[in-house]
Amino acid sequence: MYKTRKLWTPVSTVIRRARPTTCRLTPYSPNSQIQSLPSQLETSSRVPPRYGSHFLANLKISSKTYCSQPAVKIDTTTKRCWNCDAFADGTAPFLYCDFCRSIQPVDFSIDYFQIFGLEKGYEIEVDGLEGKYKDWQKKLHPDLVHSKSEKEREYAAEQSARVIDAYRTLSKPLSRAIYALRLEGVDVDEEQTVSDPELLTEIMEIREAVEEAPDSHTLNQIQSEMKEKLEESSNSFANAYQSRNFDEAVTCIQRMTYYQRASEEITKKL
Amino acid sequence: MAEPAYTVASDSETTGEGKSSSAFPEIAIGIDIGTSQCSVAIWNGSQVELLKNTRNQKLMRSYVTFKDEIPSGGVSNQLSHEHEMLSGAAIFNMKRLIGRVDTDPVVHASKNLPFLVQTLDIGVRPFIAALVNNVWRSTTPEEVLAIFLVELRIMAEIQLKRPIRNVVLSIPVSLSRFQLTRIERACAMAGLHVLRLMPEPTAVALLYAQQQQQMIHDNMGSGSEKIALVFNMGAGYCDVVVTATAGGVSQIKALAGSATGGEDLLQNMMRHLLPNSEKLFSSHSINEIKSMGLLRVATQDAIHKLSFQESVQIDVDLGNGTRICKVVNREEFEEVNQKIFEKCESVTIQCLHDAKVEIDDLTDVIVVGGCSYIPKIRNLVKSVCKREELYKGMNPLEAAVCGAALEGAVASGISDPFGSLDLLTIQATALGIGIRANGNTLVPIIPRNTTMPARKELIFTTVHDSQTDVLIVVYEGEAEKAEDNHLLGYFKIMGIPPAPKGVPEINVCMDIDASNVLRVLAGVILPGSQQPVVPVMEVRMPTVDDGHGWCAEALHRAYGSTLDVVTVQKKI
Ligand SMILES: [Zn+2]
Repeated sequence: MYKTRKLWTPVSTVIRRARPTTCRLTPYSPNSQIQSLPSQLETSSRVPPRYGSHFLANLKISSKTYCSQPAVKIDTTTKRCWNCDAFADGTAPFLYCDFCRSIQPVDFSIDYFQIFGLEKGYEIEVDGLEGKYKDWQKKLHPDLVHSKSEKEREYAAEQSARVIDAYRTLSKPLSRAIYALRLEGVDVDEEQTVSDPELLTEIMEIREAVEEAPDSHTLNQIQSEMKEKLEESSNSFANAYQSRNFDEAVTCIQRMTYYQRASEEITKKL
Repeated sequence: MAEPAYTVASDSETTGEGKSSSAFPEIAIGIDIGTSQCSVAIWNGSQVELLKNTRNQKLMRSYVTFKDEIPSGGVSNQLSHEHEMLSGAAIFNMKRLIGRVDTDPVVHASKNLPFLVQTLDIGVRPFIAALVNNVWRSTTPEEVLAIFLVELRIMAEIQLKRPIRNVVLSIPVSLSRFQLTRIERACAMAGLHVLRLMPEPTAVALLYAQQQQQMIHDNMGSGSEKIALVFNMGAGYCDVVVTATAGGVSQIKALAGSATGGEDLLQNMMRHLLPNSEKLFSSHSINEIKSMGLLRVATQDAIHKLSFQESVQIDVDLGNGTRICKVVNREEFEEVNQKIFEKCESVTIQCLHDAKVEIDDLTDVIVVGGCSYIPKIRNLVKSVCKREELYKGMNPLEAAVCGAALEGAVASGISDPFGSLDLLTIQATALGIGIRANGNTLVPIIPRNTTMPARKELIFTTVHDSQTDVLIVVYEGEAEKAEDNHLLGYFKIMGIPPAPKGVPEINVCMDIDASNVLRVLAGVILPGSQQPVVPVMEVRMPTVDDGHGWCAEALHRAYGSTLDVVTVQKKI
């Protein structure tokens, strides 16, 4: 709801990296900006920050040791279990070893779509997500590994949190759209000022209509209109994304963001 | 204030996973501390079993009486008569009182109880006392709860022939984190380690998940996802969750709760029968307490009967010259308590709304708890959920404790060859957590119903030019006005280099880990700098102690708005 800017990446990164238990931000990786996205869609991390190691080393936020190693670079062809050394069988993303039932460290090269066994794309079958989400949690949730080592419990906390994020991101159209674009290397700043004059005029009109709405019936009407428009922009996004017209896709996201907000605001008024 | 020692093993307030070093994990017991009744259960290797006291009771009255040298509770003590509990010597309803300050309406409502609840209305903890030989003997809700828990522990140890340390406690949804620390404190005083605190309807949801698994196992159910609404109302609280379960994994979609319960129904009814009752009993003399006790028992009895019959004859002599002789019908009872029932309805509607679940998608609607026998309660839930039938597979008074016992087994790492413990509940936050900003508003950072573990952050900024310090005040709750929520703690960030207002960016990040521990982190950055300008603060919350209502006001008096923060506005 509130603005988060790239300026903020440093502190949040520092905080995340210093707190290994639920560390959810990708430790930055030099090779791409895409890699820093799985973290949070609510924080745009456009420029992966770099710190001198002294800075991180000086930051002892908690009594626990923090993990300062960058994302482990794993060659997908030779993934092996840290515990039993078995090779990943390659049929499912390697979050969990089926041989020794141990949870693997987070591998940020696995994207959210892969976690759910999906092809990268905007139009996905949302109904199937919850089942897969639960299947993962049954293997990864920290509540289920209390008899295991401290190290593995931390893997559990991180993996489980990442699956929650993945589920949350993919189950909603807007966050899914933004995520899909980020995987293409296009960062969307949700808070960017709207410059499209057509949309600006529309925003003004809708705002007026909402303010002057005499009763809940009218508000309901405006809301269903918002939902329709959201649907429309969602379809345009799907087309733009498909044809790799990313400028158009970003515009669609701006529209979706606005219609969703307007709809939420009306709900508050109702 | 020193807590009296009752086999106090530890005063620690740790919530983390206590690692047992034994190769054979100790199975944690499940405890349901009800406002009026209480029970203990354990996974016995093949199923959940409720433990009984020496009088063969599975449900024990939640009270502690101070009439003898050594206080005794409802587990061991044999009441000669119901009135003994209302003689002034017994303290009960501690679950409604624990961790509340004397400005809390729930505490005020407790002033009509037969023991002493004294308030100064300044936001400190209320004074609570039992009448022993015409002397008011002071105690605290924590102490009362601890005495009671010791009795439960001893009872379980005798039956299970082993020491008991780990417990899973079911708790009301609407309790704040501060209140939870008080419950943990009581457990520690009783030598118990809290493995998990589980919202009551969530415990019921776990039992439901297990029953669904069992049905698949018996080839009677389908493996598809089942969505259930659980409505749980006892003497003290009304709680609702919506859960979605499949393959033994339950996702809590939403929780909602309110400190509204059978006690409120009872008090409204007492007021209805004797309109000036509060005034009549205000000085708590022995005779007044006796009259109050008589009225309470008669009213309780009448409400109970009204669940099964249309009208009831009340005839009670209060001994002070007042005699109440009246026929009350069900309609009257429902009218007197209209507000309470409306509250129950709105809690249910809100939970459904937050869960974003359509009524048609609900597989089952479950109504449990002591108040589930009241026809109006069952009907209002049925009507909100547009159902003819409610779920039948559970004992309404035992569901929560059975769920707690299941969680106790799961959390102790016990597995079952038949897969009966192949269960997981993915919890969500019951109350939003945020900070005071934009004047006196609570700006939520982790909204309610966020799946745990959770981590969220927001950016704030200064309100004055060259403001070097900011005060971060953390609250939990849903009220818009900051002070109307539960204060969890506060700290300052100091030494921000002088800059125009609105320039320093203050990032407040909240983190709830897998053990439900809340940490608040805050850092400051100035434009052009890549690193925090002052060390990042990390504070484990809650940090407040008793008297926090008073604290918030003192802070305001001392600092006004000089250390305020505001949210950074979005542009659209
Ligand atoms: Zn392995």
